[in-house]
Amino acid sequence: MLAAAAFVPVPPLLVPEIAGGSAAADEPMRAACGAAVRRLSAATLDELIVVGAGACTGEVTGSWDWRGFGVASPAEPPADRLPHALAIGAWLLQRHGGPNDATRFQAISEDLPAADCADLGRALAGGERRVGLLVCGDGSACRTEKAPGYFDPDAPAWDEAALAALRRGEPTGLLALDGELGARLLAAGRAPWQVLAGAAGDDAFDATVDWADAPYGVMYVVGTWMRKKGTR
Amino acid sequence: MPLTFRDKVMPDGCLVMGILNRTPDSFYDRGATFGLDAALARAGQLVADGAQIIDIGGVKAGPGDNVDADEEIRRVVPLVEAVRDRHPAVAISVDTFRASVAHAACEAGADLINDAWQAPEPAVAEVAARHGVGLVCTHAGGHRPRTRPHRVEYDDVAADVLTVLSSLADTAQSAGVRRESILIDPGHDFGKNSRHSLAVTAALPRLVETGWPVLVALSRKSFLGEVIDAPADDRLEATLAATAVSAWLGARVFRAHDVAATVRALKVVEAIAGRRDLAVGRRGLA
Repeated sequence: MLAAAAFVPVPPLLVPEIAGGSAAADEPMRAACGAAVRRLSAATLDELIVVGAGACTGEVTGSWDWRGFGVASPAEPPADRLPHALAIGAWLLQRHGGPNDATRFQAISEDLPAADCADLGRALAGGERRVGLLVCGDGSACRTEKAPGYFDPDAPAWDEAALAALRRGEPTGLLALDGELGARLLAAGRAPWQVLAGAAGDDAFDATVDWADAPYGVMYVVGTWMRKKGTR
Repeated sequence: MPLTFRDKVMPDGCLVMGILNRTPDSFYDRGATFGLDAALARAGQLVADGAQIIDIGGVKAGPGDNVDADEEIRRVVPLVEAVRDRHPAVAISVDTFRASVAHAACEAGADLINDAWQAPEPAVAEVAARHGVGLVCTHAGGHRPRTRPHRVEYDDVAADVLTVLSSLADTAQSAGVRRESILIDPGHDFGKNSRHSLAVTAALPRLVETGWPVLVALSRKSFLGEVIDAPADDRLEATLAATAVSAWLGARVFRAHDVAATVRALKVVEAIAGRRDLAVGRRGLA
């Protein structure tokens, strides 16, 4: 069962070494991510699974490495490099997670249909084990003319629907997100959020959004879903 | 063999390609030369400032209003014709990724096609071959034209640029473009974050070693702006610094907004390298 989940955005500039001289500008987002990951890690969990977009769907292993973005960090490159979204998750867990977090990494193909995402979420959180999810992804990248994907007039409504569902702890709202439009809007969070929805099922959660903004034309959302007390 | 674009044999040494945008929305000039008269005046200034090549573009590089091939031709071709008529000696380049536009521009008198998006239409090379004009082969990461880089990663950006450009240049030669008419461009900012662009600048000697002449388009670009946190209007010094380093590392052609300043900077690099004599030799010599 899903005991707790944290959702975080995955801009490379979240990592101070990548952001360089402008890192301080994003400290509020970074701090919010840290707080959300700490809440997740503090929950009683049997297993913590990081989910995020990858080239194909499946469990992966490895660690974070920023050389792909032109930054020689960590000093020793890992043998295997995680897909970017999962690398951000691993990096956040290293900074803010508990030392005993038993962690697996689940990559999700960006074009995995909603129903398949939900099935995957149910499978990941199935059984009696208390599962925590660190859900790595963000909203559209099309909020302004300067955005990576340029302005798309459909972006605000798509993001609002996602944000409302995350804020209310409402899986049906996440499952209703239009995948084709999400792909056009370069929304890296659509599939991982729908995995979260599948894992949550019909259970009740206390949902919190710590921070949400689109300072660079990409919609970032940070928060948690914690299983309501008294529901196991 | 000297660089040759159609019938234009280029002089030895560094060459400056002046930018002439027939666009209402390009990032630096923002429509200043969209009108034909303004564009022609700018062409005259570029020639007077020392540009050996004029690069005419009808579509903003970044995302923006859709410009189809017909509209691009309407913007570019009359300007090519007019510049051809007024400045018969200057080499005219056309900045386009479309084969139909390249063809129309060559018919109108263009000498060089600047294909800045990593050959999304391979027929551009065939058009260049058929008209006997030059071709710039550019690395852009394989992304769709007019898109911005978004979380792009490279295992080794310099190696990727080297592989892609060698392949594009070989393909162009196989398509019939003359060897002395092909240039390679690492495509600063195109499909790259700022660190990637800095890395390919440092790796220019590897591109130069291929034997293909290297064009760099650095002028007032974002990667320079991110080094010094300055908008496009305040990036001249950064542009000239990168220009000088690139020239020292062996780049041959420099696509520039600020032609007079670029020509002067390049003269100093050539003089330091022992490839240019003093314009005035009096200091301590009287």
